[in-house]
Amino acid sequence: MAFLECRDLKRVFPGKFALSLSLEVSRGELLCLIGPSGSGKSTLLSLICGIDRPDSGRILIDGRDITDLEIRKRNIGMVFQDYSLFPSMSVGENIRYGMKETDKAERKQKTAELLDLVGLPGYEKRSVHELSGGEAQRIALARAIAARPDILLLDEPLSSLDAPLRRRLRTVIRQIHDETGITMMYVTHDREEAFAVADRIVVMKGGRICACGDPESIYRRPSDLFTAFFTGDGSAIPMSYLTGSETVSVAFFRPEDIEIDARHSSDKYYTLKDAVVESCEFTGSLYIVRLSYKGSKILVHSNHKPSGHSVTLCILRDRILEMKDDLQ
Amino acid sequence: MHLETADTGFYLRKALPALVLTALVFLLPVGAVFLRAFSDGHELVSTFTDSYTWRLLGFTLLESSISALVSVLLALPFALFFSRYDFFGRRALLTISDAAFALPAVLAVLGFVIWYGNNGLLNNALEILTAGRIQLKVLYSFKAIILAHVYLNFPVAFSLITGALLSMSDQEELASRLLGASEMRTFLRVTLPKIRGTLASAFTLIFLFCFPSFLIVMSLGGNPRFYTMEAEIYKRTYTDANPASASALAIFSFLIMTVLLIVTGHGRQGTRVSRRKKHLKKPEGRSHALSVVLSLLIVLFIAPPMIAILYRAFFTREGVFTLKAWTDMARRSTGAGTGLMAVANSLVIALLSSLAAMVLASSIAMGAARRKTGFLALLTSLPMAVGSVSMGLGFSFAALYVPFRNTFFSYVMVFLAHLVVVLPFAVRTILPGARRIPLQLSLCAMTMGKSTSEAYRKIEYPLLCSYRRRAFAFSFALSLGEVNATLALGEGRINTIPVLIYKMINQYNYQSASALSVILLSIALAVFALGESKGGANGVS
Repeated sequence: MAFLECRDLKRVFPGKFALSLSLEVSRGELLCLIGPSGSGKSTLLSLICGIDRPDSGRILIDGRDITDLEIRKRNIGMVFQDYSLFPSMSVGENIRYGMKETDKAERKQKTAELLDLVGLPGYEKRSVHELSGGEAQRIALARAIAARPDILLLDEPLSSLDAPLRRRLRTVIRQIHDETGITMMYVTHDREEAFAVADRIVVMKGGRICACGDPESIYRRPSDLFTAFFTGDGSAIPMSYLTGSETVSVAFFRPEDIEIDARHSSDKYYTLKDAVVESCEFTGSLYIVRLSYKGSKILVHSNHKPSGHSVTLCILRDRILEMKDDLQ
Repeated sequence: MHLETADTGFYLRKALPALVLTALVFLLPVGAVFLRAFSDGHELVSTFTDSYTWRLLGFTLLESSISALVSVLLALPFALFFSRYDFFGRRALLTISDAAFALPAVLAVLGFVIWYGNNGLLNNALEILTAGRIQLKVLYSFKAIILAHVYLNFPVAFSLITGALLSMSDQEELASRLLGASEMRTFLRVTLPKIRGTLASAFTLIFLFCFPSFLIVMSLGGNPRFYTMEAEIYKRTYTDANPASASALAIFSFLIMTVLLIVTGHGRQGTRVSRRKKHLKKPEGRSHALSVVLSLLIVLFIAPPMIAILYRAFFTREGVFTLKAWTDMARRSTGAGTGLMAVANSLVIALLSSLAAMVLASSIAMGAARRKTGFLALLTSLPMAVGSVSMGLGFSFAALYVPFRNTFFSYVMVFLAHLVVVLPFAVRTILPGARRIPLQLSLCAMTMGKSTSEAYRKIEYPLLCSYRRRAFAFSFALSLGEVNATLALGEGRINTIPVLIYKMINQYNYQSASALSVILLSIALAVFALGESKGGANGVS
């Protein structure tokens, strides 16, 4: 049985946006919600934690209907993008604020444990004004966990941090999840972050779920062109260029599934001759090559530099996904 | 993201008692004035159609507009310089300007009389220096009213514009200069459009301060030709003993002021605040000389009247040192009570009214901020539409319905009048702080199982601490300087410091007035320091 269940949830903002979906999250799962701005990710979190109410549908946690419950009675934790630490309290007071333990020594001990968990031991007496962005977000995480919520919602928790810190903290979040076993829903617009932390990814668009699955299947076998392009780089060219048959579908493939200037047998690869190199960038570990073939653009991640202006491309047959051109 | 209706309802419920009390205390005098005015329909109609009323309105609009315009235009070049360069004395002068917010108008009146008066210290000095060839005639004229208004409001404009400029990045100006634009073109095309909203706000605020001006007009205008509507209402009530006519004029003034408040409230623009820190330059060469000249000009404009008061508190007009005014303080002086009694009255009334204003304003401001409505703030601004003379008049009419009259009753009426006068300012001081508290903080607390009321008490209320303190200080300073309503309501039974100073000025007893003014100035500055003191790291910024 699902731990969190959103059953036929609908929320309409007339003239602007409508959310309509059903979703299940298992106990102890870390589910990532990704999608472009305005796809409904944050709205969904608002509905689950009770900041907003759905027009119809139900929300259940462990079989208990919480749709009409007040925020404070839902036992759902939330970590916001801007940390929302209470400026009038110290780090320790922030963490203890939502604790259910009443014994003073126990609360103190738990605070120390949580500070250890988020990698900030000894920070208890610090003022929240002294914290860096990364530290503040870890304290916000510790504070949310301290209240022992059934589910922890994280609304773009790393968005306001710089890239190296984001990479470090996403590992911290995953470790905390694994150690505490808490069910988490994590909203991000960074697909790499989602792949790195999630057990399962939900891709949203226009208030609906357009794909759902584990990170690898979402990346390797996207169900449509939107999901394919939203979850990674790739190229989409008419299928007829590869097969010669008359079809209106497109062939989608990732840049790492193509080789430049290679000689391979035709049973494993499709070959495209005379692709024109438009640009070539060296990133240190590989070359990002942009090519043009019969007017279609192709992106390749290559280990070597193209030998000339006109090259032959070999595309792995079993990595090609035939799709409807539903982006136009 | 928004709070559920039930939760915003909490803030409204919290603000409701304060709103009801405010409405009562406001409606009581206004209702009394309306009742009185409508009891004589003929007087009402004739007042509204009288050409003199419209001439009075024209003059009041003119003096407030000129006062506001001169204050803003004069402050602009100073603010531009002070927001660009860092030099010796800059911070001190900015602090002095901020402190001028707390300066009671009665001090400006006394300072002007002693300094600019025909026999004042400036003319005495000029007589000695020029052997009597030059004598300044400033007082008892239109220019005296404008000069006194500018004296009180130049620091207000200077502080507001400097603050706005300091909060903005100067990257756009730099870009403009790099593109080859001159200083003047950069100012006109880049800087001026950025601070247009602030200039409009400063003009509006000063205009609203000057519109109901009474004390300065009565004492420094010296001629009924220069009466504003408030002054005329006072004259009709107490000199002509014609309350019906005074009430009709009070209603006319109230309607005009309400329209002005609504119009100016809609037209006000915010200031774009930049997070990029502005680096002030060290002045060199010509700009260094300019920093000295500008600093001297501010000091020479602001300081002399106050120094003149300090001097006269210890010296006679002939220049002989004396402590007579101070030793007389405990003796019975003008009207009832002593100087010391006036000090005690002022402190008690200011303390009670500012405490009450602070408490009421906190819940009203939080309600207005969370409901995201300007209506509550506008509602509490309404008392600003009633000049304090009219307010005093209304309270004295309302008092007629009370069967018993004693000193305690007068105190209560004075307290209520002060509360109504200072409350709008307290709300306006706390409201920006309330608006800065992110909604997410209380939402966060709620996700941890706390109720809205608990989140308000533990999270939001402590964050308003510095704003409440500032509101308390501002209210205290305003109450401390209040003359009009106290004069109208005290019925001679209650003397506060400014009322006693006003009476002493009218009796040409400048020395005693100066001694009391030194006390008033000291208290006002102490309260200002309390309002500006750092409140730890608990505030929202």
